[in-house]
Amino acid sequence: MQAGNTLATDGGTPQPRSPQVVMRLERMGSAHPTRLSFLRVLLRRMANEGWRFDRPVWEIDDHGVGRAVYRAAGPKRSYSLVAFAHDLPAEMRSDRVIATAWDATFALFDGTPSAADLDRLQANVPLQEAGRVSSQELSLSRANRSVRLWAHVVDRLAAGQQPDPEEIAAVGYLMRTTAVYGSGKFGAADRRDIADRPELAEPFQPEMLSVWLTRQFTVDIVEHLAMVKGGANAVRLEPAIKAAFGVGNSTGLGMAPYLVRHPLLLNNWSAAREEALTRVRGVAGAAPEAVRCLRQTYQEARRNAADWRSEHPIQVAKLADLCADLDRIGARLDQFPGTAAFPWDELWRWGEATLSVEGQEQLLALLIEPHGDLVDDLSACMSADETVAAPLNGSMTVGRLREILRQRYSWALATDFTQPENMARFWYVSEEKLEPRLGERASDEGAELEQPLCIARFAWELDADLAQSPATETVAAFVMRHPRHRYIVRRAQIAETHPYAEVHDNLIAADMLPIDLMRCKLAFFGATHFDPRSDKWVRISLFQGAPYPLDPEGGSLS
Amino acid sequence: MMTEPNDPTQSGPDLSGLATRTRLSRNEIEGACTKAARGAGLSWGHAEEAGFAAGWLHAHGIDGAAALLAHLEKAAGKPWDELCPKVAAGLWLPAGKGAICPLILGSSLSDYGSLPEGSLDAGLAIGPVSQPVLVVPFLARLARSSGHPIAMRFATGTVYVGGDHISGDIKVLVDLAETRADLSAADTVPETAPCQADYECDAATLAALGVFAMRTTVPPSERSRSDAGAGTDDND
Repeated sequence: MQAGNTLATDGGTPQPRSPQVVMRLERMGSAHPTRLSFLRVLLRRMANEGWRFDRPVWEIDDHGVGRAVYRAAGPKRSYSLVAFAHDLPAEMRSDRVIATAWDATFALFDGTPSAADLDRLQANVPLQEAGRVSSQELSLSRANRSVRLWAHVVDRLAAGQQPDPEEIAAVGYLMRTTAVYGSGKFGAADRRDIADRPELAEPFQPEMLSVWLTRQFTVDIVEHLAMVKGGANAVRLEPAIKAAFGVGNSTGLGMAPYLVRHPLLLNNWSAAREEALTRVRGVAGAAPEAVRCLRQTYQEARRNAADWRSEHPIQVAKLADLCADLDRIGARLDQFPGTAAFPWDELWRWGEATLSVEGQEQLLALLIEPHGDLVDDLSACMSADETVAAPLNGSMTVGRLREILRQRYSWALATDFTQPENMARFWYVSEEKLEPRLGERASDEGAELEQPLCIARFAWELDADLAQSPATETVAAFVMRHPRHRYIVRRAQIAETHPYAEVHDNLIAADMLPIDLMRCKLAFFGATHFDPRSDKWVRISLFQGAPYPLDPEGGSLS
Repeated sequence: MMTEPNDPTQSGPDLSGLATRTRLSRNEIEGACTKAARGAGLSWGHAEEAGFAAGWLHAHGIDGAAALLAHLEKAAGKPWDELCPKVAAGLWLPAGKGAICPLILGSSLSDYGSLPEGSLDAGLAIGPVSQPVLVVPFLARLARSSGHPIAMRFATGTVYVGGDHISGDIKVLVDLAETRADLSAADTVPETAPCQADYECDAATLAALGVFAMRTTVPPSERSRSDAGAGTDDND
């Protein structure tokens, strides 16, 4: 596809961006999905391997209540989304964890469920956290309707009309998931038990499959209800209209700590993306097909930005940056590729010098898109073998550990943690909901129960104690004298060989925005239309514009 | 009080009110045990080691959650100096008056694995250590990194630990509340059937671990509720 894989060999050989640039919250909070995002990885694999899809069970009544099964059959194994549709009174509809009932509940089953499996799941899945699933299930999730769009679509279809594209654009989805629980939650299979299956090796593949099949369920059930309401007058969704629906997701602070708690994953995801950019910058010339793909992807990005709605002031400003930058990129693309030997690198350098952080991360996604042959193999590097407590290297010296801190944690050591604004907040788990929250240290109770997410402060405190210790002392002896540092010592030893393992910002600072962590993670999922409802609570859309499993042309997923 | 969990990353389910014995996932066992150990006063780093140890034991057919609970009930709230070992080549004694914490002992043995103080070449006498079966996962970690199985000899038997297997008198060790032991590299290891994972836990054990885990949580305030998204209407 691309003109060649030749890496530039002159003095300007592209190097991966440094963690000091990439791992800042401001930039993480400007992340865009790329072709390495996990839902793209899923769709690519299913297209390449010729997966087949069907709906072996549809037992939904005229009130939209009942159960359905969607099956995805791959070369070796099949997986089934078991969906339960409920009749939920409006007063019970909540995206929050306090909810005890939902419009629909789901489990992803390993294989094809028997009637007995369906009955077992029916007794547990609708209860979500209050039920139990088994190691035959790979995920557990639930979704609520977008009440306004749902009614509009059912009414229009029942009357023989298509829904209004403006109404669809304003929301983007018929249902939004409010939690998708994966690996080992509520009795479901542990990731380590399924990670050796090629189709589940990349991160979050069961969760992505579950959400993609859920998207089919959402359009099937509105068409079903329209048929009930309109009878012979009712029509089905036209393909172009249908493509505009994604699956929404509503998520709060619970997601924010994930990237901090999984340093190996954060490293591997970020390193893969940076390596992809580096490879593309090293491509000599620009093949016409790659240029065509770039221009087409650019047009899609413009459409995406135009349909991207948010009322949150921070996001409104970011969207303005993005739209202005897309104008600049459009003008620059008129001259692309030009005469440079390495036009992709030239375009990137222009972007770094010209665009906002938001625009730069959009440009990264655009640059990678035409180069699947060159970068798609990197998705295989994005998982991690995580154990709950990796062994410490106890024979490392205190002197070497301090060097690692200076190399990897200089951003943390430069912070003065005697200043109140630098430790203004604390992360805790609420007794009431067992979910992560942020407290104000000056005014809220519970700071002594702080969760270990204040990595910068830990590194700063570790450095202070290391400074009082002989440089030749072993880490084993040091942590015996200072047991509280065991946690950050383990992280520092991971960071030694994983440069992108840490977020380079103080996560307890007064001005820290948790939504920046969420946007980074959600972009790796492949989420679009990031819409903060506060600085700690967001909605997004998944799979918008993607094919459906039961499309007549279902084999052409790419 | 409602206790529905909503941390898709770390918080586990509410494990109270389950049937007498419930099969958890290894993830859930690790999560529940990590939080319980933290709630009982261990550092975050050692709490992670507790999660690892309990999960490893269940993966090898031993009720690690029960062993951890038995230890935490004795050790909760004790200061470090009462739980840690005094490290010296060949002999690790308690630094305090009581038995050594098996999690601190095990993780420290792992830390010192390639250092003279942790050498097993001439044998290493340890103890007394509380709930000694909890040391086994750390011996497995050492055996894996050194490539040599380890023998743990105590008054009433011997357990042999490889990187991913256990043999010998493990059933005897499981029942010991406290013991002294001698550790050495094992030349030969008795042939035994592979360990079958057993992720079933007793409901009373999980409930008691849950009580420790809840000590890590903070009662709600109105502001924290609204920060987390409450108060908005989701019928849109």
